Amino acid sequence: MLPEESHLSDQELLLAVDGELAPRDQGRVESHLAACWTCRVRKQELETAIGEFVHFHEQSSSAMISPPDGPRALLKAQLARLAQTQPSPWRRFAKSQSPGRPGLALAATLLVMAAIGSFLVRDLARIRRAQYAAVTVPNPNLTPGATVLLSQSEVCMAPGPNNKAVPVALQRRVFDEYGLSAASPRAYEVDYLITPALGGADDIRNLWPQSYSATVWNAQVKDALEDHLRGLVCEGRLDLATAQRELATNWIEAYKKYFHTDRPLSR
Amino acid sequence: MFPSNTALPASVAELRRESAFGAEDQVVALFDELRVPLLRYLAGFPLSPQDSEDAIQEAFLALFQLLHRGGASHPNLRGWLFRTSHNLALKKRAQARKDSPGAETTAEDHVVDPAPNPEAQFAFQQTQQRLQSVVRALPEQSRWCLYLRAEGLRYREIAEVLDISLGSVSLCLERALTNIARAAER
Repeated sequence: MLPEESHLSDQELLLAVDGELAPRDQGRVESHLAACWTCRVRKQELETAIGEFVHFHEQSSSAMISPPDGPRALLKAQLARLAQTQPSPWRRFAKSQSPGRPGLALAATLLVMAAIGSFLVRDLARIRRAQYAAVTVPNPNLTPGATVLLSQSEVCMAPGPNNKAVPVALQRRVFDEYGLSAASPRAYEVDYLITPALGGADDIRNLWPQSYSATVWNAQVKDALEDHLRGLVCEGRLDLATAQRELATNWIEAYKKYFHTDRPLSR
Repeated sequence: MFPSNTALPASVAELRRESAFGAEDQVVALFDELRVPLLRYLAGFPLSPQDSEDAIQEAFLALFQLLHRGGASHPNLRGWLFRTSHNLALKKRAQARKDSPGAETTAEDHVVDPAPNPEAQFAFQQTQQRLQSVVRALPEQSRWCLYLRAEGLRYREIAEVLDISLGSVSLCLERALTNIARAAER
């Protein structure tokens, strides 16, 4: 019989059973098992324990599994509802291309026209964007707001309301969107329209360049509103979706509404 | 679609590519494949069957939103779904405990006895009760590791789902199975 300390540990035996041993240990463990009856028996005991647990697990969890039809139908309904609120370009394209549907040539023509049109529209948009450069609310066409799927409890269990830094590459894209490529980045802060502390997404549709030159309705005022709304949501006094909508629609009007004032309160 | 005899997309990026002409169908097909393994995993929390179903629904809705949003590719799709379901289940359990302390209902309380005769039924019940008490007495993390392994996740995947090291996964599984083996010897 081999001395006690030379036997394989339960952990090594289990790693061998599960095929998780490092290649360098594989040969050593196999050689030991070939020579050592004690370790072979222990390995069998562990495999028996696995077998017992697997049977127990299958039996005990089977009571939990209802037929799939109901949950499946519920998921499909929720996905359909969600899809309506989150249209995406490929989705619209896919619908127009579904098999057996006529009008493929028409769709292709429309795409070409859309491509040409987009160049014209982009130039016009750039001109319009310039008008937003110095204002204190974002262009709703460029920054409609975007959220991630979070529940009220998830939002409130998340640490602190501080917004994370926006990556530099994304900041540049925001400046380009707003036609501010030539402007000094120091004059603007790229801010979230719907703060991540209330489920706002890290998405260009939720980012806008907030002018530092704004003296009244500035970033600090908006931060105060965000803190206030988050407090209301976490206290259960305001629905999360409503708070997100208030920020996305017009944060200045929301500030006036929730602080009952026409001017920012001094901090 | 993913017929049961074909492989699931491994990553969110792969699923996103396959979803280009119908994300809803892809997500539902994935739900068909993974709902039962996820339910069996959540049985280890423990959590009521309804809360488990809800957590899984929310995880798949989150996946759908992830596909729409773009960005992160999440190389292990199955791991991502287990992790998201795990996190949502934790929240549901916390909420359930807050709403009605001490009133946990789990599937394990309603085990159906498949044994054919009284002696076999007795033996079956004895084994189930012994294992149930051993499994319930395990530290939470060991129990989760055991249930994830039973669903076919490799150690690296378990480590990602539970956000622990590979060594911890190995240790948790060893302790859990040692306890089960020891209980069988008695």
